[in-house]
Amino acid sequence: MASISAPVPRRRGAVNTHLFGHIDLALLALPLAISALGLLMIFDASRHETAIGGLSRLYYVERQSAAVIIGIIAMIIVMSIDYRRIRDAWPLLYLAILPLLAGVVVLGRNHGGAQAWFQVGPFQFQPSEIAKIVVIVAIAGYCHQHRGDLDAWRVAVAVGLAGLVMAIVYAQHDLGTMLVIMVCAAAVLVIAGLKPVHIVVMLMLAASLVGAAVVTGKVHTYQIQRLTGFADQSTKNVPAADQTATQFNLSASKAAIASGGFEGAGFGHGMQTKNGFVPEQHTDFIFTAVGEDLGFVGGATLLLLYALLAWRLWRIALLSSDFFGTLVAVGVLAMFAIQIFENVGMTMGIMPITGIPLPFMSYGGSAVIASFIAVGLVLNIHMRRFT
Amino acid sequence: MSDNSRVRVSIVGVVIVALFASLFARLWFLQMGPEQSLGKIAISLSTRVIQTESPRGEILDRNGKVLAQDVAAWAVTVDRNLSSATRDRVLGQLAEVLGTPEKVLLANYTSVRQSPLAPAIVKLRVPLSQQLAIREHNEDYPGVHVVALTIRSYPYDGVASQVLGYLSQVDAFSPKEFKQLEAKGYRPGDLIGHDGVEAAYESVLRGRPRRETVQVDPSGKQIGPPLKVDPGAPGKNVQLTIDINVQKVAEEALAEGVNAARGLQDLSKATSGYAKLKPTGGAAVVLDVHDGSVLAMASNPTYNLSWWVGGISTDHFALLSAPGAQNPLLNRATLGQYAPGSTFKLVTATALNAYNVLPASQYITDNGVLDVNGFPFQNDNKEVNGQVNLQKALTVSSDVYFYTGAWDFWNIWQVDKARGLGIQDVASQLGFGKPTGFELSEASGRIPDPAWKTAFAKANYKTAEEIRQNSIWYPADNIHAAVGQGDDFVTPLQLANAYATFANGYASHVGTVWTPHLDQTVIDPMTKKPVQTYAPKARSTVNFGDAYSAMAAGFRGVVDDPKGTAYDAFRGLTFPAVSGKTGTADVTGKGATSLFASYFPSDNPQYAVVALVEQGGHGAQIAAPIVRQIIESINHLPITPVPTLKTAKD
Repeated sequence: MASISAPVPRRRGAVNTHLFGHIDLALLALPLAISALGLLMIFDASRHETAIGGLSRLYYVERQSAAVIIGIIAMIIVMSIDYRRIRDAWPLLYLAILPLLAGVVVLGRNHGGAQAWFQVGPFQFQPSEIAKIVVIVAIAGYCHQHRGDLDAWRVAVAVGLAGLVMAIVYAQHDLGTMLVIMVCAAAVLVIAGLKPVHIVVMLMLAASLVGAAVVTGKVHTYQIQRLTGFADQSTKNVPAADQTATQFNLSASKAAIASGGFEGAGFGHGMQTKNGFVPEQHTDFIFTAVGEDLGFVGGATLLLLYALLAWRLWRIALLSSDFFGTLVAVGVLAMFAIQIFENVGMTMGIMPITGIPLPFMSYGGSAVIASFIAVGLVLNIHMRRFT
Repeated sequence: MSDNSRVRVSIVGVVIVALFASLFARLWFLQMGPEQSLGKIAISLSTRVIQTESPRGEILDRNGKVLAQDVAAWAVTVDRNLSSATRDRVLGQLAEVLGTPEKVLLANYTSVRQSPLAPAIVKLRVPLSQQLAIREHNEDYPGVHVVALTIRSYPYDGVASQVLGYLSQVDAFSPKEFKQLEAKGYRPGDLIGHDGVEAAYESVLRGRPRRETVQVDPSGKQIGPPLKVDPGAPGKNVQLTIDINVQKVAEEALAEGVNAARGLQDLSKATSGYAKLKPTGGAAVVLDVHDGSVLAMASNPTYNLSWWVGGISTDHFALLSAPGAQNPLLNRATLGQYAPGSTFKLVTATALNAYNVLPASQYITDNGVLDVNGFPFQNDNKEVNGQVNLQKALTVSSDVYFYTGAWDFWNIWQVDKARGLGIQDVASQLGFGKPTGFELSEASGRIPDPAWKTAFAKANYKTAEEIRQNSIWYPADNIHAAVGQGDDFVTPLQLANAYATFANGYASHVGTVWTPHLDQTVIDPMTKKPVQTYAPKARSTVNFGDAYSAMAAGFRGVVDDPKGTAYDAFRGLTFPAVSGKTGTADVTGKGATSLFASYFPSDNPQYAVVALVEQGGHGAQIAAPIVRQIIESINHLPITPVPTLKTAKD
């Protein structure tokens, strides 16, 4: 037993056999911590929703807990497969996601309206959440194959990979997710070595596409309203009944956060949260529950946790042993960053209102599972950086 | 990884730091910074204040008899959101159950004097059996509720209506006025005092409503117990100086007088044939001469305050507002303005002596007419009174005596503007031509003088020549003013207060002008103890000097001397001794106003009583008998009916 007292130097040889010894514990702990807070806040924010729906008080919490557990399992599975095998399998993954996405569109059409999910038993599975990760992996895989030789045609192919998925997602009327995919793809491509001229051309292309969509009326009225609702926030003196739904969402959301003050009303004491004044509060507007009940202290702590998460992802982008790892880490980083910024930003009125969930916080199984898978992928890259 | 990629990853890092920084900044702004106030919207969205009116204070008479009080009543209400078909069906069913014509229910439902925001009250004071009939079959009466309401109840309904004033919903006010009331905590459907004591003492009577701050969900439904409760406080009781018995007699006497006047000939139309008087109303005031408290204030025609309870019906509103109704809402005692006729001689008599123009002891010859620069000024009925001094002039109502004095004043005015307007000065001292300071709304009246005449001409004529001509202060102006004709206007309350001032100077010959008032004490409704007692307010004094005795004797003679103008009207009344002055004021195109101003007992006077009937003929014919009835009632004597005298002199 005497030998234990002497420090044992860490040997490189241990790396191969103890992959999980190189896990980024911080990156592992942060999603768990945020998910735990998320469950609490869903419990808090669903009080009114469950009451009027005649549901069990724990209805949403139970379902979200199940999603978190499935997400953790999915994360472990993703971590256990060497990411290089995933890298090489990108065309397969990409081809697999397309029918799933398209299937939703067809199903939705059959239901006579917009639909972005499959009903799987009691759960709704939303392929577009997984599609975000698949697009990151696909573009990263493609760019990895052609690293150092990314000419205009190859950029076009990479853009096409993202563009096809975006088009299908847009057909699901899910503008928010489409924009998230666009940001992820753009971030990966920029790191992959996109030349400035490519960037300019792509920006022009995107601008003309958006312009065409607006002119031809492909953009729906409610989508424009959400954008204008964000721009026109002077609803102070407009009675609730006269506001558009978007303006009402926004004023209720901002009012709830503002009423939190420094310390917040206390868990379960915020009157807006408790009485269901903020629509969609347990899903897209979960941050308002944090803001009202936990105040600036709670809101800033949550943002800090997200910032730490972003930092760990960014760090892994630099530490990765191969180009694919860097690209995936940046893609996931961009995905989380844009979702956090857009979601939290819209609740505070600095971004337009879209249906983008707050990672690990918002109620919604597919998003939670996808988020865990994304983190799992990056953890995978981190722990195999020496192999 | 290439260095280029490293740089690019670093740039991504910077971008992300910037994004997080902006989120932190925005969060700070919203929760800790300038936009913190948005949180107040959150509170206003999620809370409501439920306000329940506290019981309104009672109005009592000087002996504690209740004149107005809040009582609980069961009412049937119908919601406003029903389709017209459902509403008509429901009203039809209710008509059957309540035994009220559907037409009446519909009229109540649609009455503009009910708040359109609250359920309509279609029937008040619903007996228990009818309540049960509706409640047991609630499903058959969609939108119908049986509710307990607090309603105003008037134990002496129909008496002192204009003095008490009515309650109606604040919605009747203009949006601008309503906004001000809203700031004071009134909400649509709340009752507020209109006119009279209810309006003048609104803040005392209303009390503080109970306010519960409750949490609501987005649909407005209350959640949980109230966050904050302000229990409010019931309104305070106001005890008036009114004696409801005297008030009742005054109103009855007035009504009897108005009725009796209908049988009299309208002498103003005698030249064009025989026409009867068409009296349109009248007023009577009883004052305590020692402090200005009002014992009775009657106005005719009158109405029942209960008409307003639960929203006035269209029929009743027509009775109040139709042109032929002669405006029963108007308190003629304070808002009616009338030429005072010979009752104004109190002022002229005082002025003649105060300014030493025509001393009380000096006799003049009354030939029935005074010639002023070729214009004859005649006594009523061209009566020749012979040698008259002040006392006799008052007793027999010699106009010539006062014409002479007024002409003297006019001549003085030619050389001494201030002294020449002695009549106007004394009128002002006695409270004419300006508000008395009474609690209820009142008119100012008018005493003409050269300044007024100029202003009037300027306001009513266009050319400079017309204005100049109509601005001239002629002898006739002063002469008419001296006998209460022409442009003199007084309110019955002003007249009573002037006679009260003379009466309370009985011992010292210096009269005190009190502020007439209705308020006696404000009483806490719980402890029944006075919380505030009205202190009588003296406004000024008037020195009657040596002429007092002659004037007092003159006023006494009006009633007591067989030659007195009101001798017949008071014949047989041996106690108490009454002093007074008749008045018959000519009104252009109408019958004369009948007036009688008095005080009693003549020795050490206690009360001043004034009665007036529009188009009532001679003062002695109608007004004096009304006063007699009031005096008899105060002294618990049998009431003498108003006689239908064929002739009388003024």
